[in-house]
Amino acid sequence: MLKKASPSYIRKSIYGPAPRQRAAELPWLGALEIRKLFPDVPVEIYIEGGDVSVIRKATRAALKNVNMDMIKPEHKVNILSSQYGFQIMGGFAYTEMIRTIKDVVEEKTGCKKIRLRVCTGFRIREPNEIIEHYKLNEYFEGRARGVASIDKGVPIETEIGTLYGVAKVYDADWIIHAHHGELRELDMHRMINRAIKPFAMSYARMETRGVAHINFGPRSSNFISRVIFDSPFVQSKFTFGCFLLTSPEGIIGVDAGNDLYELDRKLMMIAFKSYGKIRELLNEIKECIVVLDATGEPRYMVGGGTTFGNLTEAELDLFDLDVIPVSLGYGLYERPPGPKVKSVNPAIKALVMNHLWLGVPQMELPTHIPTIVVGTDLAKILSVDPMNHDFMRYVVTSENLETAMAFARSIAKTDNVFVFDGSFGSMTCSPSLAEYLLERAPAVSKRVDEELMPKWLRQRGIDPKMAFA
Amino acid sequence: MVEIKFLAQVDKKKCIGCAACENVCPTEAIKVVNKKARVYSKKCVACPNCSGVCPEDAIKKIPRSEPLKLGLNPAEADQGALVELCKKAHLHPHQWLCLCSAIRVRDGAAAVLKGAKSPEEIALMTGARSGCTVYCFQTMMRLLKAHGVEVTPPKGYRWYDSTQTLWDVPEEIIRKYPVHLLEEDKGVFRKV
Repeated sequence: MLKKASPSYIRKSIYGPAPRQRAAELPWLGALEIRKLFPDVPVEIYIEGGDVSVIRKATRAALKNVNMDMIKPEHKVNILSSQYGFQIMGGFAYTEMIRTIKDVVEEKTGCKKIRLRVCTGFRIREPNEIIEHYKLNEYFEGRARGVASIDKGVPIETEIGTLYGVAKVYDADWIIHAHHGELRELDMHRMINRAIKPFAMSYARMETRGVAHINFGPRSSNFISRVIFDSPFVQSKFTFGCFLLTSPEGIIGVDAGNDLYELDRKLMMIAFKSYGKIRELLNEIKECIVVLDATGEPRYMVGGGTTFGNLTEAELDLFDLDVIPVSLGYGLYERPPGPKVKSVNPAIKALVMNHLWLGVPQMELPTHIPTIVVGTDLAKILSVDPMNHDFMRYVVTSENLETAMAFARSIAKTDNVFVFDGSFGSMTCSPSLAEYLLERAPAVSKRVDEELMPKWLRQRGIDPKMAFA
Repeated sequence: MVEIKFLAQVDKKKCIGCAACENVCPTEAIKVVNKKARVYSKKCVACPNCSGVCPEDAIKKIPRSEPLKLGLNPAEADQGALVELCKKAHLHPHQWLCLCSAIRVRDGAAAVLKGAKSPEEIALMTGARSGCTVYCFQTMMRLLKAHGVEVTPPKGYRWYDSTQTLWDVPEEIIRKYPVHLLEEDKGVFRKV
């Protein structure tokens, strides 16, 4: 018997109309608890709906021993944040971590010129939506600003030549890197220096994002982040990093430090422990219907505490550095009409789009999976999406969620339903899928512990026997 | 062939002539003239940039009466020269140039062989940069440079000339960072 599902809060946005009905309201779906699948996944200190004061307490504790002596009262400091942090469980935990960083820096240094930078990908107006929604300009006394990759740049001299950051990111004496450990874009960072990835993405100009994503390979992409972070320019401004730590259970803590590489190593170990098993379990699913019903673009939408991208790429073990995924700039030489820009797991037999935001090229989804868009409002916005010109030519539209689900079941010929509704701690799914996953989980757990985890660690120069000592 | 169904429209009453739009347009389709932004409809590819950055919310996209059709037929280019150019740029002709509008590298190569001298010109000849405007940029620059075109960055910050690739990383740097598997990834590209 499944518990009642609890989908994540959906923030109002111009990039996607509010759904009329959440998938979790369908009476035949429920919540499969993550701890019933894998009792050893790190346990949460916070889950959506809980008291955010635990985040404040954890952030204060994490910052206690961080050196902030370089910040003087007369200095300007930029706290750097990324849009996706605000999509984790409604964004309340990330917001609270950022607010606490501001308060602690003020207390410890006497500095009052602490500004917030909210960086985005392609949804140029999203930072302003975030700043308004979480009242960040009130908290930062009018000093919160959005950052887009097409904003004015600043040259950064690196070991491989001049790369470009966004000027607004670096227009302070000091920067604070406020990020999270959620496992998105694993196909890009491959858990190699994950903690510094935003230096070539969120904080970078569009040319430099392109260099990382297009001009480097399936494992070397994050090298660009590294040369930027290691550059004299960035090092002259970097103070410390502060990370919201996550697992499929929820927020499991906050960590901070002046040594970002030390934080990066911890983040990597937590990621393997937190996401290794759930990722591998997704590869056990042989047929399912997916419902998208959360804030953000599909690949970064969370279900069962992990992103939809981890299901679409489940057939590939992306922690394994011997695996070469199809991804953006590399490996893409198939002939038309196969507009695949990323891997698409053939186990996904039908895709129901109940709620999502525009914001990334994603033609590989409707061209590889029978796709049903719910409601004319969503269909209308998708029909004018400049990043997916022909999207609506490949999908059908259903008037409501009930009929969309009935149609999806008729074409997919399965009762397995997996909903990506932003939930952590549990997976919103059908009883048949829950039963199947519970049956497969013990074997997956054993395989990860005995075969895969040691391999992932060895590939990164870590002795498996010492890793979690 | 890419069909551009929309067009940027400026609300002159709201426009303050700040030129933020001019600096983000991938095709030079919007310019500030007499302190007001003006849209050149034959060049507008209806990307989200100008309307996204406008501080006064003065730009919206409206449907075109007739779609603007952009594109060329790469089969009409000299195929030997096209393949040679792609090889020189370390790109495969069937690789994506623009993910958003489903345009391949061969289209961009054909545009360069036909005389395109800038990313703006490639965009208008192929229909690329009509979506995110970001991920196609590097591929365009690589094709231009491989063809020996001397690119000159525009005034302002529409784009900067920065086109590092895996192939440009010096051997000593590759050896310095074994964890990033740079040499191994070159092997992946060589197979392509």
